[in-house]
Amino acid sequence: MRKIGLHVNGIWRELVVGEDTVLLEVLREDLRLTGAKQSCDRKGQCGACTVILNGQAVRSCLRKAADLDGAEVITIEGLGTPDNPHLLQEAFVLAGAVQCGFCTPGMIMTAKALLDRNPTPSEAEIKKALSRNLCRCTGYRKIIGAVQLAGRFLRGESSPDQLRPNLTQGVLGVSMPRPTAYARACGTAQFTADLPSRGELHLAVVRSPHHHARIKGIDAGPAMTMPGVVGVMTAKDIRGTNRIKYLVPDQPVLCDRTVQVLGDPVALVVARSRSEALAGADAVQVSYEPLAAVRTPAEALAENAPSVHEGQPNLCSTQLQIKGDALAALEGAAALVEAEFSTQLIHQAPLEPEACVAFLEGEGEEARLIVIGRGINIHHHVMVLQGALGCEDLRYEEAFSGGQFGIKLDITSEALTGAAALHFGRPVRYLPTLTESMWMTTKRHPLSCRLRLGADHKGLLTGLEVDFTLENGAYTSWGNAIVLRILQMLSGCYHIPHVKAVGQLVYTNNAWGGAARGAGPPQMNFALESAMELLARKIGADPLEFRLANSLKPGQAISTGQVVDEWPFPGCLEALRPHYRRALSEAAAFKEGNRRRGVGIAGGSFGIGKAGPADKSTVAVELNPDGGITAYGSIADPGEGNDAMLTQLAAHATGIPVEKIRLVTRDTDRTPDASSASGSRATYMSGGAMLLAIEALQKAMGEIGAVTFEAAAYQQLVDAGKPVKYLGTKIQQTTPLDPQTGQGIPYESRVHGVQMAEVEVDLESGDLKILKMTAVVDPGTVINPLIVEGQIEGGLDMGAGMALREEYVHGETRDWVTYKFPTIRNSFESEIILLQTPRRKGPVGAVGVGEFVLLPTAAAIMNALENATGTRVYHLPATPNKVLAALAGAPGKA
Amino acid sequence: MNQLSESAATASGHKVCRYDGRKILLDQEGFLVDPSAWSEGVAVEMAREQGLEGLDEAHWVIIRFLRDYYFAHGKAPLSRDLKNGTGFSLLEIERLFPGGLKEGARRLAGLPNPRGCM
Repeated sequence: MRKIGLHVNGIWRELVVGEDTVLLEVLREDLRLTGAKQSCDRKGQCGACTVILNGQAVRSCLRKAADLDGAEVITIEGLGTPDNPHLLQEAFVLAGAVQCGFCTPGMIMTAKALLDRNPTPSEAEIKKALSRNLCRCTGYRKIIGAVQLAGRFLRGESSPDQLRPNLTQGVLGVSMPRPTAYARACGTAQFTADLPSRGELHLAVVRSPHHHARIKGIDAGPAMTMPGVVGVMTAKDIRGTNRIKYLVPDQPVLCDRTVQVLGDPVALVVARSRSEALAGADAVQVSYEPLAAVRTPAEALAENAPSVHEGQPNLCSTQLQIKGDALAALEGAAALVEAEFSTQLIHQAPLEPEACVAFLEGEGEEARLIVIGRGINIHHHVMVLQGALGCEDLRYEEAFSGGQFGIKLDITSEALTGAAALHFGRPVRYLPTLTESMWMTTKRHPLSCRLRLGADHKGLLTGLEVDFTLENGAYTSWGNAIVLRILQMLSGCYHIPHVKAVGQLVYTNNAWGGAARGAGPPQMNFALESAMELLARKIGADPLEFRLANSLKPGQAISTGQVVDEWPFPGCLEALRPHYRRALSEAAAFKEGNRRRGVGIAGGSFGIGKAGPADKSTVAVELNPDGGITAYGSIADPGEGNDAMLTQLAAHATGIPVEKIRLVTRDTDRTPDASSASGSRATYMSGGAMLLAIEALQKAMGEIGAVTFEAAAYQQLVDAGKPVKYLGTKIQQTTPLDPQTGQGIPYESRVHGVQMAEVEVDLESGDLKILKMTAVVDPGTVINPLIVEGQIEGGLDMGAGMALREEYVHGETRDWVTYKFPTIRNSFESEIILLQTPRRKGPVGAVGVGEFVLLPTAAAIMNALENATGTRVYHLPATPNKVLAALAGAPGKA
Repeated sequence: MNQLSESAATASGHKVCRYDGRKILLDQEGFLVDPSAWSEGVAVEMAREQGLEGLDEAHWVIIRFLRDYYFAHGKAPLSRDLKNGTGFSLLEIERLFPGGLKEGARRLAGLPNPRGCM
C-alpha cells in the first residue's frame, strides 16, 4: 500500500492505494467519479476511461495510482455540468456526437487534450488523437465534427447560442439536442456499473471450458473456504423453471445436466468483493464428461450427428415461402444468375459490459426483487424472469445504456444476478468482464444461402429461389422469429412475381444468434442485392436503372403476398442518380494500375415493428398541474434518441414547450408496456401510441371546455372529477405468415433507401478502402434530422465492419482488438440525403430508421469491389486475403 | 377481428373462435390477441370450455380488477397489486380459476398472453 496525494479536478485528495491499484479504480471506487467508464477489461483498448493527467490524455486503466503522487488529474466531472457545460460538452451535444454516451466522456477528455495543445487540428490530426477511443454508435463522423466545432467555440469564432435550434416556429424537423444529451456528455448519466450501493455482494460465475459436456459433479467446498466468499449457487438452488424462455425454453439460467456451449454458466459465487468472488469461482471444482460437439450447421445436420440438446433434433425448424411458381419462372428466364453467399457470426459490440445490480426491496412476504440492467423490453423481461427465477413480485429498472444494437432484447446477466439476490437475500452486483459479456450474449446469426434470380428479355425480374440456413447456435433466443423476418423482407425493394424459399434453423454448439440490428434481413439482403448486381451485369443493364425498373410499385405484392399501398423506394434511386453518375465518372480515371476505384449501389426496404398480428404499444400521458405533460411508457433509449422523438412529438401535438414535456420510461412499475425498442418500432409504435394518448386527453379536456394544454385545464379536469392521465394503445393491423406458404401481411409500413459505396482496392495487398458512402433514405417525416443522420452514419460504419472486418469466433475473440472493432481510423466520408414521403399510418408520417441502414451497406461495398476489379467476394467478411483470392481467380487477372 | 383471415390464422397456429356471437382471434395459447374484443359473454363461454359452469362474484371481482388495472395502467398487475386490489390471496385466486392466475384468470379477463414476441 502507499499513500498518495492528487489534485483531482482542482481538489487535493489524499488516498491510500494498493501497489496495483489503477487510476480508474481510484476515480470510480474511491472518489465516486464515475464519468470515466470501463469497457475493455483494463487493456487500454477502448479509451472510455480517458482522463487528463498532467496535461496529457491518458487511459486511466493503465496508470498505476501509486506512481501518481502529486499529479494533476482532470476528469469529465471537472469540465462542466449539465446546467453549466464546458464548450467541448456543448460542441458534442450540438454536433449530435452523443448517442449512448458511454464513450463520450473519454472522447471529450481526449479532444480537450488535443485542443489544448493544438487549437486548429486538421481532420487527420483529430483522427490520430482519437485513434484509441472507440465508439460503436456514431461511425465517428459527428465526433470529428464535434471536435472541429469545439475548436471554433474555443477560438471564439462561434458560440453555442448561435447554434441552438429555434423552437419558436415549431419543433418537427428541428435538430433539437436530446433531453439526456448533456447528462451523457457531462458524465452524470448513471450506467448500471455506476450505481452506488452499500453492503452489496459481488458475483462471479463458473463457466464451462467445454463446447459440449455432461456435468458429472460440482464441488463448492474449496470455494467456501476462500476469503470473503459468502456462498455458492448451482441450478438446484434456483426456485423457478431455471429456463429463460422467449420462444423455446432451451436456455438454462445455470446449467443442470449438460453444457451446450463454451462459457455456459454452471455455478455462481458471491463474495464481499469482486476479486474474492472471482477467486472463489476459480476454486469451484466441476467435473465434466466431454461430449462430441457440432460446430457448423453441416456437422449438425450430418447423419448420426450428436444432438446439441439431448433428445432434440439439431434442425430446429424449416419455414417455406411460396409465391407463384418460381421454378417455372426461372426455367423460362431469359437471364439467370445463381450463386452462393454467406455472412459471418458478428458481435453487436456495445461498449458497455453486461453489468447488473439486483436486490430485495422490503421484507418477508412483501419483499420484491429489483433488477437494474439495460433491457430494451423490460416488461417482457420481468415475465421471463418471473418464470425462470420463481419470483412473482419483480421490478425492472433500466439504467442508462451503453449501446445494445439488439443484444438486450435478451436477458443476459439479469437472471444470474436476480437469482443470487433472491437466494442470498442480499444486494448483488455483477460486473462481468468483456470476454464474459461476449460469452453470455447473442450474436448476429451466420447465414448461408444458395440463390437463383431470373429476368425476362425486357430486364424485368421473373423469379427468385432461395435456400438458406441460419445457424442458431446453442440456444434459440429469437431464432425462429429471425427466419421469419428474412422471409418477411425477402424480396427486398423489388417486384418479383414468383418466389420460392426454404429456410432452416440449425442448432450447433456455438455462440447463439439473436436480435442484432436488422436481425436477419441485413444478411439476406447482402445476397439479394449482390445477385441484383450480377444480373444487371449479365444483361448489360445499368445497375441503378435495372433496380428502378424492377422496383415494387403500389398495388404489387412483396414475397409474402402483401399488396403494398405505398412504396417510395424509386424516389431514392432517382435522388441518387446524379451522385451515381458523378461517382462513376470519377472512378473511371482509376481503372489501371495497382489501385483501382469502383462504385457500387444497393437498396433496402425494411419493415417497421414486430411482424405478426399483435405488435402493440401502450403509452400513458398525464397532464401536470403546471400545464406540462408527462408521458409514461417502457420506451428504452440505448442511444437512438427516443427521448427527443417523444419530446418533439408531444410538443408538436400539444403546443407545450419542450421544457414541460417529461418522460418516464425506465421502470416497469411506473410505465405501461410499450414493448421493445426493437424492429425500429419506437417512433412508429410508441410515438404513435403516445399521440393516441394525447388525443384521449384532449378529448377529455374538450368535454369540459378546455382547449389548450395549460395549468387551468389541469384544474378543470380535477374539478370535474375527471382523470388527468390517459392511455393510448397502437396495434399494427398485420398477420402472421402462413407456415405452409410464408404468405401474410407482416408490416404496415416500411423505411426505404439506397446506398452507394465508392471504394479503392489495392490489387497487391487486397486492401479495400471506402472512400465515401452516400446514403439516400426515406424514413417519412423527419422529426430530428441530426439524430436521423447520426443513426445512418453509425449504421454505415457497422455495415462496413460487417462487409470488411468483423467476425466473432467463439473462444478466440476475447476483446475489442481481437474483434477488430472499428476505429476512427477506419471511418470514412459519408453523405446523407433524406427524403420525406409521409407514411399514411406513421405518427406525423414518420417511421423508424436505425436498423434499416444495415441492409444495403455490405452489398453496396461488394458491388463496388466488383466494379473496381471485375471480381467479388461472396462470403463475408471480405478481408484482404479473400479479396486477393478473388482477384487470383478473376477473369482477365493474372 | 383484424385482417388475419381464418385460414391464415389457423395455419399460423392462431385460432378464430366464436364467442358471444362474434369471431374472436386467439393466439396459439388461447389468449385474446385484442383485449378490447372481450365481453362478459366471451369470459363466460371461455370459462365453460375450461370446466367452469358459471362465474360467481368472486370470479368477476378478479376479472374486473384485472381488466380495470390493465386498461388503467397498460399492463397486467403484479401479484401484490392483485392481492391488494381484490382482497384475495394468490392461493385463493389460483384455486378459483382452472389454470390458475396466468393461464386461467388472465386469459378469461381477455388480457394478452404474457409471452412476448420480437
